[in-house]
Amino acid sequence: MERTWPLQGDSRVPYFIYTDGDIYRRELERIFEGPTWSFVALECELPAAGDYKRGFIGETSVFVVRDAGGSIRGFLNRCAHRGVQIYQHDTGNAGRAITCPYHQWSYDLEGRLRGLPFRGGVRGKGGMPPDFRVEQHGLTPIRVHARSGAVFATLSAETPSFEDYLGEKMLGFYDRVFDGRPLRVLGYSRQRLPANWKLMLENIKDTCHASLLHVFFVTFGLFRVDQPSKVRMDETGLHAALISERGRQEVNEGTTQMQSFKADLRLQDSRLLESVREFPGDATVVMHTFWPNLILQQQSNTLATRQIVPRGPNEFDLHWTFFGYAEDDEAMTQRRLRQANLMGPGGLVSLDDGEIIARAQDGFRKAGAAAGVVEMGGRDYAETDHMVTDVALRAFYRGYRKVMDL
Amino acid sequence: MSIPAELRNELEDLYAEYADALDSGAFECWSDFFGEPCLYRIVSKENHERALPMSLVRCESMGMLRDRALALQKLNVYGPRAWRHLTSHLRATEAAGHIAVRANFAVFESLHDQTTRVLVAGRYLDKVVRTDAGLRFREKVCVYDSALIPGSLVAPL
Repeated sequence: MERTWPLQGDSRVPYFIYTDGDIYRRELERIFEGPTWSFVALECELPAAGDYKRGFIGETSVFVVRDAGGSIRGFLNRCAHRGVQIYQHDTGNAGRAITCPYHQWSYDLEGRLRGLPFRGGVRGKGGMPPDFRVEQHGLTPIRVHARSGAVFATLSAETPSFEDYLGEKMLGFYDRVFDGRPLRVLGYSRQRLPANWKLMLENIKDTCHASLLHVFFVTFGLFRVDQPSKVRMDETGLHAALISERGRQEVNEGTTQMQSFKADLRLQDSRLLESVREFPGDATVVMHTFWPNLILQQQSNTLATRQIVPRGPNEFDLHWTFFGYAEDDEAMTQRRLRQANLMGPGGLVSLDDGEIIARAQDGFRKAGAAAGVVEMGGRDYAETDHMVTDVALRAFYRGYRKVMDL
Repeated sequence: MSIPAELRNELEDLYAEYADALDSGAFECWSDFFGEPCLYRIVSKENHERALPMSLVRCESMGMLRDRALALQKLNVYGPRAWRHLTSHLRATEAAGHIAVRANFAVFESLHDQTTRVLVAGRYLDKVVRTDAGLRFREKVCVYDSALIPGSLVAPL
């Protein structure tokens, strides 16, 4: 099959990138296993020595664990003996040793092989050869970086420092939510979506759709084109932030073009939308797409990490971790729990997204050389102070094409 | 302590009618099965067992139940599908001010263009009260077993 990007460039997105197996394998190698930082955990999930959290870098299962000295270390989730997956739970405590259940190879929290049964044989028979060296059979370490409460990992030695990777502008959005206050996990939701993983990132970068698809957002003014908004990106175009201020339920030039705007709709229990300002500045929404596997969500008082785990070109898992701050009072926690009704696999807003990207994937089937059009707001890559634009998509695919040589 | 057969029959009817209402898409009737004050939650087994407070769905009043029902009927965008709720192994005990009911549930989902699949399986941990209008849910907590929801969770459980 011909895999050539359309001549129009980044204002077109060919559908083969969502369905082609070779493209997908190249993505795993160059993106997830390449020089990128993937989100794996929140530090508060690992409060004590031995606490571990399992995560994924692309399809590769990894885990991070707090060692005896309090540092967080990362390893492939695979025994050095016969390759068995060591942890099947998402979180837990290793105790003093990381032990594989198959032949009980046992590692310390630094990943060093400490012991294995029958190494010296039984009654003088069998055992490992005399030249077997435990030092050569530790767990495979991976680089990890923790910053202000979140933990990232990379499989590549070429990955730049976390700060250089994200860049100063994007770090500003990162530090806005991960501001150093201790975090508290409120709970998890996970879903398996029949769609290409890139569609999830696109969904956040596609700023127009929120004003059209999400009647709930539109009607109650949580996120809408007529509100003060900004699109901000890094130099690669791969990381981005969508920033917006909550508006009112009013009829104006923007809302009259939205079939989905319902001026007369009222909630019977409006506590769902009651929020308080908790971050500096005017923004009430910042949706940060963090290349390649994280969406950091701040919509009013609901905070979550959405972690993308690809599973072939046609499917991915989305792991939501809802959190607040350890210092939150009961009223704030209740607000976060209540507003979480908008998000997640059953979210009054997010369920539209899960459904529509699955429907997009259906549309891509046997699409041949067909391509999508991303020309809203022009054909350039300049940051905007509005959201009537596909600029974050164009910039994203410009960056993607460089990484993928497409 | 076991409950009288008559009450048990009434409870069986309540759960059957509840499942029927949801499967027929009559979400506007959903809140009729509850009495104020009420609490409805869908929560993963993981969050439930680890005492994490997050719910996948959380309605704290009949108004919130009606708001969600309206959203599902008029505001949300999702593909055509049918649901079938099965409830079994109902066990009820009298408690202070309410009847504590536990039951298993399984929900089948049939998406257009797809074969039928199990959407979720789990347990109801409910509090039922007698009102002038009959038995009503004071609290309905739906604890689903799987760590992963296939697709999106649209219909109430």
